[in-house]
Amino acid sequence: MTDSTDNGTESADDQPTRTPPPAQPNYDNTFDAIVVGAGLAGSAAAITMANEDLDVLMIERGAYPGAKNVFGGVMYTPTIRDLVGMDGAPIERYVGQRRYAMLTEEDEIGATVNIGDWHEEPHNDSFTVLRGDFDEWLADQAVEAGATLITETTVTDLIRENGYIVGVETDRPEGALRAPIVVLAEGGNSLVSEGAGLKPAPDRKDVAVAVKEVIEFPGDSAQVIEDRFRLGDEDGAAYHYFGEGAAGKSFGGAFIYTNDDTVSVGLAYRIEDSITQGINPEKRLNEFKSHPAVAPLFKDARTVEYTAKTIPEGGAEAMPKLVHNGALLVGDTAGLVLNNGVHLEGTNMAVESGYHAGKAVVEAFNSIPATERTAGATAAGGQTARADGGMVIPSSHLQSYPDRLEESFVVKNLEHYEWLIHRVTEDKELLFEELPAALADAAAEYFAIDREPKQVHGARAKERVLGTLGGLRGLVKLGWRYRKIVR
Amino acid sequence: MSTKSPSPGIVQNASLEDRLYTVKYEDPGESHLDVENPGICTTCHEDACVDVCPAKVWRKDADGTPTIAYENCLECGSCRFACPNENVIWTYPERGAGVTYKKG
Ligand SMILES: Cc1cc2nc3c(=O)[nH]c(=O)nc-3n(C[C@H](O)[C@H](O)[C@H](O)COP(=O)(O)OP(=O)(O)OC[C@H]3O[C@@H](n4cnc5c(N)ncnc54)[C@H](O)[C@@H]3O)c2cc1C
Ligand code: SF4
Ligand code: SF4
Repeated sequence: MTDSTDNGTESADDQPTRTPPPAQPNYDNTFDAIVVGAGLAGSAAAITMANEDLDVLMIERGAYPGAKNVFGGVMYTPTIRDLVGMDGAPIERYVGQRRYAMLTEEDEIGATVNIGDWHEEPHNDSFTVLRGDFDEWLADQAVEAGATLITETTVTDLIRENGYIVGVETDRPEGALRAPIVVLAEGGNSLVSEGAGLKPAPDRKDVAVAVKEVIEFPGDSAQVIEDRFRLGDEDGAAYHYFGEGAAGKSFGGAFIYTNDDTVSVGLAYRIEDSITQGINPEKRLNEFKSHPAVAPLFKDARTVEYTAKTIPEGGAEAMPKLVHNGALLVGDTAGLVLNNGVHLEGTNMAVESGYHAGKAVVEAFNSIPATERTAGATAAGGQTARADGGMVIPSSHLQSYPDRLEESFVVKNLEHYEWLIHRVTEDKELLFEELPAALADAAAEYFAIDREPKQVHGARAKERVLGTLGGLRGLVKLGWRYRKIVR
Repeated sequence: MSTKSPSPGIVQNASLEDRLYTVKYEDPGESHLDVENPGICTTCHEDACVDVCPAKVWRKDADGTPTIAYENCLECGSCRFACPNENVIWTYPERGAGVTYKKG
């Protein structure tokens, strides 16, 4: 963190970094807001602010938005649809079919969910996408709304003056840029926010390591995918796997998502388990792909891209403070991911948080009369906090962001499922290892064809499951422990 | 219960080298990864950095000091969180260098 108070030397006025000249008035000849990271949360914040005529600069470290980004994945689009519509959005397939399956080392027990409504617009707002395309498109919407985007530029630090964040340092020559607001949308590997003391470094129990491959098939790859996954032209499949055959003896799971003519396959599990259980992600991915119930899906497949990323999994409890003097934390930077085994959702939360953060910034600006938006003015009134006399905005004026987020599905969902993550952690061995094995054995018994009466097999199957759970009493207890899952 | 794979070995998993070859990479010229204090690594028995890395960037020499093949790095950040001694120095490759994902 630099703390520069010498007048003007860090001014962005002479920076050559502003490709297309800003369309909006620029109160003190700098930007109103700087967004760190042109991912989902960053672009959503930029769109929201630019729509209200704020002068927004987005800074992205990749060669283009999406170049450094990885997810599963299914993009959940209710907020994007409201913000910019879905016309021209680079989607691969809509999700028409979900499968949840438990894998032991050799067996699979699963259920497929295929809902009629999902095949109708808006397709439950669930689409498989590739982030290289999607993030670039979303950032384009921000640029169209009037925001400025610079790429291949990494924010290295925040500039703080008199307790206010007043801009960013970048890795460009003379790369300091100033603005009254900095939106931190840098994803889960939050080097800038952590470095500036805006959030603590998360514990490795609260972060998952994830690896993924995009694969394709020889010949008509799309046709092979549609045949193998039983799909039509436009619908896609989202498969989630748990248990030892998916992520080993760890808290985690594996996934398969069908794109248009490629398939995304990967897995994620707690970093802590990688070390205590000695699981290497690349090796684990090979084992998952070679699982007898999974391997036939990937026969003859060729890897076209291999990627890795982390997922913040701390939930509501690990959420850092969301607003500071002059700064807001959004998306993965704020730890807004729901990953509990049943749900893996971060995209909708990133966009929703970016939207609410953007709204709060607009409100903060509107609360200051236009005539006062000049040198020396502060939203707090009174003292001049910035060395160059520019405007600053105290965290109290941004409070509507955490307030709105609390009221939205984002925090409500995180809080609602907090208990589930705790329970599943406590019951990890039972749920991920013992129960899948017992169910597989029980199913084998139940469906066994031999010369014993079915009743005998049925009794043994029941015994196998109840034995693992500690009898009927154990089953009732387990049901009670997880009763809120459907509430 | 034990049903063996009907067709073992039908999936040909690519080697790590081939996997990394699928990713566009621009060498930033110097390592964006380092350790704060190599001495800590020589007495570290956890080798969390080695275990967690999906790209075999980390290797420990006979004397316990780590060698970092930074040009393999996928910039996932896992080693930074994994190290129990907060010994990993982790920065981004400058000006967009490092990996560029086409699909992501
Ligand atoms: C393997 C995996 C599977 C997932 N599957 C799903 C799924 O199926 N569905 C779902 O909803 N969610 C899923 N998620 C979660 C979801 O991807 C994230 O929650 C979401 O991408 C968060 O968006 P974001 O904008 O907060 O962060 P990101 O998408 O990470 O964007 C951060 C941006 O900031 C840039 N940046 C970072 N630091 C700097 C810097 N210092 N200077 C400049 N730019 C910087 C990055 O390059 C990037 O563009 C998955 C995640 C992973 C890892
Ligand atoms: S885990 Fe940390 S301390 Fe141990 S070898 Fe790796 S970098 Fe060194
Ligand atoms: S960031 Fe990821 S790929 Fe790079 S060295 Fe660390 S663990 Fe390995």
